Amino acid sequence: MATAFLPVFLFVLAGLATSLGMLSMGWAFGPARKGRVKEMPYESGMDPIHDARRRFDVRFHLVAIAFVLFDVELLFLYPWAVANRHPEGIDAAVAKAGALNVDYSRMLVFGEVMVFLAILALGFVYVWRKGVFQWR
Amino acid sequence: MFSDTTTVWVLWPEIALAALAVWIYVGNALFRPKPNTQTRLGWTTFAAAAVAFAGFALYWHQGGAVWRQSLVLEGHGPLAIDYFAYAMRTVALLAGFLLVLQASRAGENELVSEYLGTLLLAIVGVMLTASANELIFLFLGLEMLSIPTYVLLFLGRRDGATAEATIKYFFLSVASSAMLLYGFGFLYGMAGSTSLTEIRAALETSSAADGGLMTMAPLALILVFAGLGFRIAAAPFHFYAPDVYQGATHANASLLSILPKIAGVVVFVRLVGVTMPALGDFAWQLAIVLSILTMTIGNVSALWQTNLRRLMAYSSIAHSGYMLIGLAVALAASPAEAATGGLSSVILYLFVYVFATLGAFAAFTYLGAKDREVNRIDELAGVAKTRPVAAAIIAVCMFSLSGIPPLAGFWGKLALFGNAIRLATNTESATLQWWFIVLAVVGVLNAAVAAAYYLRIVGVMYFRTADTALPSQGGWGAWSAAAAAAAMVLAVGVLPGRLFDNAQRAELAVKGIALPEGLSQADAPTSLAK
Repeated sequence: MATAFLPVFLFVLAGLATSLGMLSMGWAFGPARKGRVKEMPYESGMDPIHDARRRFDVRFHLVAIAFVLFDVELLFLYPWAVANRHPEGIDAAVAKAGALNVDYSRMLVFGEVMVFLAILALGFVYVWRKGVFQWR
Repeated sequence: MFSDTTTVWVLWPEIALAALAVWIYVGNALFRPKPNTQTRLGWTTFAAAAVAFAGFALYWHQGGAVWRQSLVLEGHGPLAIDYFAYAMRTVALLAGFLLVLQASRAGENELVSEYLGTLLLAIVGVMLTASANELIFLFLGLEMLSIPTYVLLFLGRRDGATAEATIKYFFLSVASSAMLLYGFGFLYGMAGSTSLTEIRAALETSSAADGGLMTMAPLALILVFAGLGFRIAAAPFHFYAPDVYQGATHANASLLSILPKIAGVVVFVRLVGVTMPALGDFAWQLAIVLSILTMTIGNVSALWQTNLRRLMAYSSIAHSGYMLIGLAVALAASPAEAATGGLSSVILYLFVYVFATLGAFAAFTYLGAKDREVNRIDELAGVAKTRPVAAAIIAVCMFSLSGIPPLAGFWGKLALFGNAIRLATNTESATLQWWFIVLAVVGVLNAAVAAAYYLRIVGVMYFRTADTALPSQGGWGAWSAAAAAAAMVLAVGVLPGRLFDNAQRAELAVKGIALPEGLSQADAPTSLAK
């Protein structure tokens, strides 16, 4: 019982140590400049409290969209990569489908992932041609 | 449940349409043409051709097989390949074709490829929803419809009202999706499967035995009604519709009153009407109460509207109420396995509603201009003199929506009210008799109330004179979309037999009943039949 939860306990300790360590190192070694802008809760050059309709620089938005493009790609590719060689992954699913006499193969899974990548690549071409990567 | 090769093969019209939509985005970005009327015309033609291609592909590839019911895909992935799915995919493509034409001058020139590509993706979403027989697939189809809808609403016009309408629609749509997912979660928890066929089997076996986990079924039903009620704008989830329609352009308002309505009704039919009749009395009572509430709120509120799109929003709410009558009939009729006409009247009414609404909105789009839309009903004064054809189209659509005999809307209402009364007269149970007679009476009274505001529009057009003429710069596309929709309404009104047959066939198919003798033909082997 005691050993079963030891990793969890260690994880909590390591988490606490990391966050406290970062905060204290920043407090000890960081340059401490004061000023109205530096003391804002969200230091980004924008006033965080204002009317919701105010316009803000569209570059923030574009960076966010481009981030989502690659973030989603990773989110989907990672499980696929794991399932590829895992004993209970794609091979098991193909065997199960074969038992049910369903037309399902590794090639189909591979093809679906390639289609997904192609769509993402087209999205990349789209944002590139629309000039998102030019920092104007 | 596997999305196997057959799934891809069946869905290829959808896949082709999505690929063409992606090409509209990327192709326009690659060539970077000058944003003028010429490129806009080119991309509109391309989008219309893409929808037409998907329609012909669907017809040529699967039409014959689903018509003969020779295409059975038991255990073949998350799809339901029956005549109901096929018919709804066809309706989505027909309506989508007219929506593309209607938008030929809506929005801004430099964003035309974004508008058209997103519109095609929304159509694909409706088509996927129509063929889904599995909870996850169903949800993905609905999201594939809603996410493009948010973008389309934003692309309509650049002002505060549009932004407000879009944000309102976005937040409420997200909330309704969450409720629907919660309901799906309960269904999965009870049945242990995401397949609708297996959920239906689990609900039936358990209602025979004692409750247990299945006591959660009414909760799941309520959540599903909440999620789908938003999509079709049924009370008490209708309150967003007037504000959002008013803030949107005419082209977008017509899209909002058509595509989510098709998708919502399709899911109501398959998920509630076919999968959950085992819930017994609770299901049809809920449907009746919501139906009465929805049509009364819609019709009574529409009476004192002065804004055209607000009025059409309440009209859209009221028609959802009528469609719920058919659902209630389908849920109350016994035995649940028989074709009792409830679902076929919903399908019939949906078709009739979609084209009458589309015709009216397309005509309003045609009468306006990009920077000056027709907002108030009074602005339509004297249109019969200045634009006689457009006025005639609007009049035909309004008469059809109010259900006046020689037009399509009459047959829709006849089927719905007739089925409710037939159920009441054929049943032994006094409760059922009472409820369904009340439902039919309220429905007929509502239809009479509705005639007042539809005929007011016709009256303004024909019996009042205009101070200034309307710009009428919506383009040939909007005009031909309106004319085609009005022609469809007229044709169905004069020759309704074909549509009744199709709706009945769709009901038989969605309930998994074999075609009776005479309807079925010799089973020819097709490329898809296993």
